Amino acid sequence: MIRILPPEIVAQIAAGEVVNRPASVIKELVENSIDAGAREIRVEVADGGKRLMRVADDGCGIPTDEVELAFQRHATSKLASAEDLLRIQTLGFRGEALASIAAVSRVTCATRAAEEEIGTLIRLEGGKVVSRRPLGRPVGTTVTVEDIFYNVPARRKFLRSSATERHHIDAWVTRYAMVYSDRRFVLVHDGRETLRSPGTGRMRDVLVAVYGGEVGSALMEILPEENESIQVAGFTSPPHLHRADRGAITLFVNGRWVQDARLTYAVIQAYHTLIPAGRYPLAVITITLPPEDVDVNVHPAKAEVRFRDGEGVFRAVQRAVRRALTEERGISAIRTFPGPAFVHSPEARFPERATGAPFRPVPMPGVSPPPSPDGLPVLRVIGQVAATYIIAEGPDGLYLIDQHAAHERVLYERLMAQRESGIPLQPLLEPVAVDLPPEWAGLVEAHQETLRRLGIEVEPFGGNTFLVRALPAVLRSAHPGEVLVEAARGLAEGSSPPEEWGIATKEEMEKAIIRQVCKEGAIKAGQVLSREEMEELLRALEGCASPRTCPHGRPTMIHISTAQLAREFQRR
Amino acid sequence: MKVSCLQENLARGLSVAGRAVSARSALPVLSHILFTTDAGRLRLSSTNLEMGIHCWIGGRVEEEGAIAVPARTIIDLINAFPPDRVDLRQEVRTMTLNVRCGRSEANIKGLDAVDFPPIPTPEESAGDGIAIDPEILRTAIHQVAFAAATDEARPTLTGVLLRWEATPAGPTLTLAAADGYRLAVRRVPMPDQPVLRPFSVIVPARTMTEWARICGEMAKGREERPSVRITFTPDGNRILFQGQTPPDAPVPMEVVLVSQLIPGTFPDYQQLIPRDRNTRFITGTAELLKACQTAHIFARENTNTLLLHIHPGSDLEPGRLVVSATSAETGSDVTELDAAIEGAAVEIAFNVKFILEALGVVNSPQVMMDIISPSSPGVIRPVGGDDFTYVVMPMTLER
Repeated sequence: MIRILPPEIVAQIAAGEVVNRPASVIKELVENSIDAGAREIRVEVADGGKRLMRVADDGCGIPTDEVELAFQRHATSKLASAEDLLRIQTLGFRGEALASIAAVSRVTCATRAAEEEIGTLIRLEGGKVVSRRPLGRPVGTTVTVEDIFYNVPARRKFLRSSATERHHIDAWVTRYAMVYSDRRFVLVHDGRETLRSPGTGRMRDVLVAVYGGEVGSALMEILPEENESIQVAGFTSPPHLHRADRGAITLFVNGRWVQDARLTYAVIQAYHTLIPAGRYPLAVITITLPPEDVDVNVHPAKAEVRFRDGEGVFRAVQRAVRRALTEERGISAIRTFPGPAFVHSPEARFPERATGAPFRPVPMPGVSPPPSPDGLPVLRVIGQVAATYIIAEGPDGLYLIDQHAAHERVLYERLMAQRESGIPLQPLLEPVAVDLPPEWAGLVEAHQETLRRLGIEVEPFGGNTFLVRALPAVLRSAHPGEVLVEAARGLAEGSSPPEEWGIATKEEMEKAIIRQVCKEGAIKAGQVLSREEMEELLRALEGCASPRTCPHGRPTMIHISTAQLAREFQRR
Repeated sequence: MKVSCLQENLARGLSVAGRAVSARSALPVLSHILFTTDAGRLRLSSTNLEMGIHCWIGGRVEEEGAIAVPARTIIDLINAFPPDRVDLRQEVRTMTLNVRCGRSEANIKGLDAVDFPPIPTPEESAGDGIAIDPEILRTAIHQVAFAAATDEARPTLTGVLLRWEATPAGPTLTLAAADGYRLAVRRVPMPDQPVLRPFSVIVPARTMTEWARICGEMAKGREERPSVRITFTPDGNRILFQGQTPPDAPVPMEVVLVSQLIPGTFPDYQQLIPRDRNTRFITGTAELLKACQTAHIFARENTNTLLLHIHPGSDLEPGRLVVSATSAETGSDVTELDAAIEGAAVEIAFNVKFILEALGVVNSPQVMMDIISPSSPGVIRPVGGDDFTYVVMPMTLER
């Protein structure tokens, strides 16, 4: 039997789109506070939000005669006409949030508008007003949400552990604290304050509060470029700071947190070869562009946005992060060469926020990493260890250089540079026949031209066999067959990046190939080198733009300063 | 064992025998030198399993015996002694070698000789093999071994092909080495020696170079040089080079180097040597070498790219060979040489190292190069002899 659903059920279903867990309540309430112009926003949570959530602000408040209206569906003060949708400046606008929250919980709202003497206290249960009275209180609004989903048992059952819900709440409050650094945010879990942002208007101060002094001050600032319609600003990690997942890449578009795989990839991409494969930078990026160039009305939770010029935004983000990376390197104290402790345990100083103790700042206030310019100092070869590492002395102590990684970096930069003007080929006297696995044979055949441009001349020789006719001149001491195998591997890698990154660019594919063949062409670990060879390698490394990491992001060297040596020997 | 010999002889013998000692090896005995009495002489032996060396020196043998002693210790010890008589005495019970010289006496802890890997001696080799002048062999090795590959990925290319065969030009020993980009071939005609048992083997370039060095030491600057004999073990798996110092040498000794062979087939080098040409230039070897050395200073910054511009002359002016290199970072250089040029003008690029190394082993005052096209192999030969041929692939510069 088909029948029209009662309005309460409709409201509950609709609420599900906006409110699916405690964190989304916090998000909506905090957004309202921000839109209300609050200077201080205090968020209190009990039991991961399952029992109680309270957001108190000193914003403009709600006028007495509009309080009930605020809890009606599609009631908003932020939008007047459909045209306004094209120029949305506020975080909320759909007029769904309060109504949705009220539909699935017990809500108490205490508010007083700036222009009124007396405030209002209103209590709703399942979307219906159960009590209302005048109230004396300071200007602003406090919304308390209790017993979320008390009337939607199905939803309630799907709530995760308090710790998980709490983690989601933390994530939202942190995001807003970062991007609205001029507001003070206070977060209290079960009576314990876990975050307090200073509200100084400087994002770095918030980052210090969130990530701790060391990480917070190591982050490199991205300054917006003038006269660009797409303004990119924020902070991004120096290459020695990285994490196991992309979770620490936070993006805001016009002050709104967004999830965008492509833009996230743009940030990761800027770190290409600078951090190890499978590790991700930490970044907080704010993108500002004219409101008409972005559509935020794609999804009720507004976590996804659509750009008029997606490609342009991608490029702007990538360029900005790259710029921060290259600019900071030469001059600042920030890009530091990781000491042994960092190489072995980057996580140790970089606590994950996922578990029970969110936001605990790393207790290292005021510590900033030691200064170190990016270009290598002149190094004097001392010798070789285990036929794998070169020991060298620099102006400040000892350097251990991984000969394979260092040579990879040298070859990589040479090939990348030669790619611009044409890679010199060294043809073979006699072609070398190579059998490839079938899945690669097709790729190689289809991309002969790409390979040729990268200096690898191949021709099909029937079946899965290919003839290698020439190699890039810089790789001439490598085995031609192995070079083709590695190139094929790069081709396979470069042509199928994870789905979310979108289509592989030619650029990506070529880089992947070059990365792989350099691995094959580089001096191997275990190869005994003469002093001249070591000196030549170090000289070449000194000439590299990013001498401290190999193309796959592993470090090429470990630096032990004279001070560190003195400490280790307990001389002081 | 009880042997007496001169410090000078022992020191020289140890320096030769020490060549095959492996510096780092899992087998301790490989870092030792085996002392054995052998028909009234003292034999010093070492091996790294790829190659082994025996070196016989004169001495007075009073008691037969054999013991292996650490190479580093005995070499340093003997070198520290004055030029005097050295008495060696083996203490079988304690497995030590007692060494006396002048007023010094040392005891070196040794290892049992039976633990030493056996190294074949000429008596165990099969057939007469061939005999060749040590100086000619040394030069021939020198002319090809540098072109062998150093990368172990293609094992056959890390060796030197040694082929003894009857050719239309008469019995010939051919040495060849290649690394995939170039090929060096040296033919040594030996008209007086009939080819009884032709052979074609690949010898590791390292051991060939070692033998060239030993040849040089034994026969340096002497008119009369006993021939080097090349033979094989009966199973055909190892090659033996056997040589001795001239009878009037101050330090007489006999040396045998035994080497493993590299299994596999060497590329058909004859087919790799181009037969035609479109351009040929002839110029002074030393002048071209100098020009290439200068170019190398810049070429090394640019993937070793060396450019040769060959301009044929006319009735009025001689041909010109322009050697140049350019580096984006450091600059460029150009050297112009007079050259006799036949054929068309051409511009061709090579890896400067490939050219430098070849010019370094061309023994004639004038050198010639044949070129077909900028993408086909070039051929370098000495002028006035076709016994050395060097084939080298040019580089291709993408635009």
